[in-house]
Amino acid sequence: MIEVNGICKTYGRGRKASRALDGVDMRIGPGMFGLLGPNGAGKTTLIRILAGIVHPSAGTLHVAEQNLATEAGRRAAKSVLGYLPQELGMYLELTAEQFVDYMAILKGMDDRHQRAQRVAEVLKMVALEDSAERKIKGFSGGMKRRVGIAQALVNDPKVLIVDEPTAGLDPEERIRFRNLLVRLAGDRTVILSTHIVEDIGQTCRDIAVLSQGRLVFRGTPAELTEAAEGHVWSVTTTEMVEPRDGLTIVSMLHLSDSIQYRFVGRSIEGHPNAQAARPSLEDGYVWLMQSAKARKN
Amino acid sequence: MNRSALKYTWLTYRREQLWFPIAFLALFVFISVFMRHPAIRFNLARAYLGFMVPLLGGIAAAYAVLDDPAIELRFATPLSAAETLGTRLGLILGVQTLSALGFEVVVYALRVDLSPLGGLLGLQLVWFTPTLALIAVATFGSLAGAQSAVGAFLAGALWLVQLTMKSWFELNGKYVFLFMGVFGSAGNDLLMNRVVLLVVSVALLLGAWALLHRQERFL
Repeated sequence: MIEVNGICKTYGRGRKASRALDGVDMRIGPGMFGLLGPNGAGKTTLIRILAGIVHPSAGTLHVAEQNLATEAGRRAAKSVLGYLPQELGMYLELTAEQFVDYMAILKGMDDRHQRAQRVAEVLKMVALEDSAERKIKGFSGGMKRRVGIAQALVNDPKVLIVDEPTAGLDPEERIRFRNLLVRLAGDRTVILSTHIVEDIGQTCRDIAVLSQGRLVFRGTPAELTEAAEGHVWSVTTTEMVEPRDGLTIVSMLHLSDSIQYRFVGRSIEGHPNAQAARPSLEDGYVWLMQSAKARKN
Repeated sequence: MNRSALKYTWLTYRREQLWFPIAFLALFVFISVFMRHPAIRFNLARAYLGFMVPLLGGIAAAYAVLDDPAIELRFATPLSAAETLGTRLGLILGVQTLSALGFEVVVYALRVDLSPLGGLLGLQLVWFTPTLALIAVATFGSLAGAQSAVGAFLAGALWLVQLTMKSWFELNGKYVFLFMGVFGSAGNDLLMNRVVLLVVSVALLLGAWALLHRQERFL
């Protein structure tokens, strides 16, 4: 459904040029797809390229069988695309219903009755049917995100792209939002871009990790977790441990008379009482980032 | 554009782009009513139609495209650059047209003789040509600079420079002088001036259309 071949993106020219993406290749099929990476890894650039907003400097891209290199292809792809950007700007004076209706018009849904029916449907899907006639300016962050999802879904998209959708949401809203995305992924491709590892682990079967514009991992969450096997340790000590090169403290728990550390790294020299621990997805991610950084240096 | 689209374009329109023209219209109507001398009323009408309507149109146009809170969502829709420009600028031109025509009705009711500015069509071209030109300059400027303020500054500066250097432009740059029709010029020079301004406006709008295809510059 989505084919990305050798995508590069450079911003600026000459000395000021900065490469946001460097030869990214991937194929994405139906279901939930997670795009993970630290801030500045190039996730938003890739997401905007997939949404047809940013043009790649090199490479080819097909979304829903449409070639995004042409204006006609971009327009055709956009008509079957739902997009929720990281910074969601809205018309706060409109009601939720008006906003979704307006976005439906912009997406080319001209039939008024069909549109009204679909707007009501998507507002119900995001549990906003009771607030449909309220102005967006009175909504909480979570409600605004749900309006954002409703507008993204209004054209019944084949591809739904959401960029950092849970940023700023409280834990309950985050869980609700994740569950909603999983439900929506049943018959379409949903691309979830985030730096929150937990969100990916709870929702995606297929993931990719970007670091400094390069694709550094492609596989399942279980494979990413397994990659950290033998590189995670737990140390319980009464002394404070200073972080050192090649070893990341992923957690630190104060017990009644000691501190329990969790480390990820190549080796655990200098900590004779260290015990090997079972890696989590987050450990796998940290190990991957460490390895990518070491390779680059 | 269907009626619903027009309704939402109106609802999402920056309110100051509506209140500013209305406020200036009300101010000029108010002053015209109280100034009873025909020459003063004529000068007020000329100032409003020839100078204020174009300036307000230009400033509003500078903010029309980029000052959209949902610009990224809009860019992710299949809406073309031409449709975006058409809806946003069309509304501004519509508001300025209604303001100008409304003011003309008022000054006719006050029995102000506007015939020195031309016949019925000529009178409309007195405000329409510079308005279109400043809208085009402001739109192109804001998209070229990727900032609304750039377009507003360009339109404002051009307006001010042309007004303060009126004599110089009448001698050396008559074909690109925005206010040639306002100062009562006629004949082939005025016709040529209007043709040149129209061509330049269309070229700038085409430039703005081309710039709007590079959506990433505006995020």
